[in-house]
Amino acid sequence: MTSNTQQENDHQSIAARMINNENFKTIGDISAKKPRMVCKNVNVHYGDFHAIKNLSIEIGKNEVVAFIGPSGCGKSTFLRTLNRMNDTIDICKVSGSIELDGVNIYDKSIDVVELRANVGMVFQKPNPFPKSIYENVIYGAKIHGLVKSKADMDELVEKSLRKASLWSEVKDQLHKPGTGLSGGQQQRLCIARAIAISPEIILMDEPCSALDPISTAKIEELISELQQNYTIVIVTHSMQQAARVSNRTAYFHLGKLVEVGNTDDIFNIPKHKLTEDYITGRFG
Amino acid sequence: MSAIQPFANSYLFLLLIVISAAGYFLSTRRAVRSVAGNTSQLHSLPKYFGSYTAILIFCPAALLFFVWSASQNSIILNLLVEQLPPSVFEQANFNLNLFLNKVKNLTFNAVPTSDEAVIAAAQTYVNYHNTSGWLMFAAVLGLALLCFVIAYNQLAPQFRARNRVEFLIKCFLIICSIIAIMTTLGIVTSVLFESFNFFTLVPVTDFLFGTQWAPGPTEHAKYGAIPLFAGTMLITLIAMLVAVPIGLLAAIYLAEYASSRVRSITKPLLEILAGIPTVVYGFFAAITVAPFIREMGESVGLDVASESALAAGAVMGIMIIPFISSLSDDVINAVPQSLRDGSYGLGATKSETIKKVILPAALPGIVGAVLLALSRAIGETMIVVMAAGLAANLTANPLDNVTTVTVQIVTALVGDQAFESAQTLVAFALGLVLFIVTLILNVIALIVVRKYREQYD
Repeated sequence: MTSNTQQENDHQSIAARMINNENFKTIGDISAKKPRMVCKNVNVHYGDFHAIKNLSIEIGKNEVVAFIGPSGCGKSTFLRTLNRMNDTIDICKVSGSIELDGVNIYDKSIDVVELRANVGMVFQKPNPFPKSIYENVIYGAKIHGLVKSKADMDELVEKSLRKASLWSEVKDQLHKPGTGLSGGQQQRLCIARAIAISPEIILMDEPCSALDPISTAKIEELISELQQNYTIVIVTHSMQQAARVSNRTAYFHLGKLVEVGNTDDIFNIPKHKLTEDYITGRFG
Repeated sequence: MSAIQPFANSYLFLLLIVISAAGYFLSTRRAVRSVAGNTSQLHSLPKYFGSYTAILIFCPAALLFFVWSASQNSIILNLLVEQLPPSVFEQANFNLNLFLNKVKNLTFNAVPTSDEAVIAAAQTYVNYHNTSGWLMFAAVLGLALLCFVIAYNQLAPQFRARNRVEFLIKCFLIICSIIAIMTTLGIVTSVLFESFNFFTLVPVTDFLFGTQWAPGPTEHAKYGAIPLFAGTMLITLIAMLVAVPIGLLAAIYLAEYASSRVRSITKPLLEILAGIPTVVYGFFAAITVAPFIREMGESVGLDVASESALAAGAVMGIMIIPFISSLSDDVINAVPQSLRDGSYGLGATKSETIKKVILPAALPGIVGAVLLALSRAIGETMIVVMAAGLAANLTANPLDNVTTVTVQIVTALVGDQAFESAQTLVAFALGLVLFIVTLILNVIALIVVRKYREQYD
């Protein structure tokens, strides 16, 4: 027993040393079939802290990519670099290249407003605006001037709420405050709000971590439906969730991408020791 | 004649503290000894046993001390009057108050007098005082010792000292809050009472709806408060027109745009404005701003009064900027970051986010801040006393000379008219109405702020 633990510790420290090595390489295939976002050698610094280390990955059209990993491994940070949400943090510096359809999103000529309209985001905690459900959904579309007439707006609100499978629950109370809904409904409202501006990619930062299992199931179902029209990147702490909803899974550890591959492969035959430890629950 | 002996009273309080301290230590020791040092067998920690005794010694005795000290003078004077020989009352032009004042002056200030009766009465007065002093000394000390014996004998290992002490402390806290409430009530009733006196001289309707303000000792005096309230409203309006935009925009800058470095310097600087005494604002308005506005007006051919509403209002506005900026800054900061992220995440720009998400979310809090500043402006006195006029013009022209409710209250009370005249009593009626207006504004502000709180908690 003792020697077994000892051996395991050795093994783990070897694995940890492997990823701390300068010559560290991500295990698995980082490329996607129809790549939309191509990230090459991305580094993110928060002041002196090196949060993302030389990370490369591709995200393909109409696929769901799950980012998993222990807390503080940089998966949320990396997700936020994909639509430049880190811009709001003064001390955050991003280097390397992240291309959306061949255009570097960190290029000076890129308008971050347009980028975020194309790459929408859903946050960990449901954050509906303290406005009516209707106003919440129409908010982004109004800002971008996507809708003019009242009829257009009504149509867009219904379409978005239907896509977020919330329509049947709220159609009679569209003018009640969005903050009055249950947590799960609020999160679906936030998804409706995001898809109302018809983004091509939706980033989801632990969208179910504040929700109960029933609401979680609804959101997961929704993700599968949205996949037909959108590309989705989801950060999650739940490995079952990653296994259920995603096509590809990426395992992050200490700011590095340790292993990436088809979800089935990652969960059934993980190649890296750290990945194996994490998904079997021995670590994290 | 013998003088008053101050010894007893001055040292009695000190003595009381010493006895209480002794009671504390004796009781703590007794509690510990009663369980042979095994304090876990006591119901409460030993210090609670000590505190219980100390409180029981100190509070009743101190209360007796204060009540006695406060009431002894009037009781002694009553006794003294009864003791006065009838010959005193038969003096020509006899005035009891004058006589007693002479007695007190002789006793306390050694003001010499030739009146034999006064000297005799003063001797009696001193004697009574000294007797009362020793009686009080004995009574207070006796009560303290009695309480000590009672408390000391109650102490047993299972005595619930902690519960008793906590109960007594709770009573003390209740008394403190009652004092605050009673003070407010006392002020309100005194104002109410004097206002009522005023309304027996001048009808309420004449006061509330009269449009002429001309106080004076004659029959023709007019006490119509409308020009005063109009003046107050005009100056307050000007102040709010200055303070709300500047304060709010400063708050938006501080909360949303300023880097933490700029913010850490700018915010305290802005708050210094709140620390400037209003009297300083007053002469700033009267000496600097008013002449400046007057010259400006003259250069474009406008006739500006030297004590214009504009000058007073503008300076008052500057004074309340920090109220609005500081409170608004707090409520804007209280808007959760997640709402900002949500808006940015949908591709909104910073200004769209501020206009469409942050300000609507913070609006109730901002309204509360504005209402609080408004009631501050309405009640502000010093600036308008110094910078606004005394002429009660019913006008909406900010370049004109107007007066305010607070200015007239000051003028009514600092004059040398008889207190019972309408000219003086009107101050209380004005104060009452002002109080009601401010109260209503504060209540509205509180309701709005409370509604705001419910949204995020």
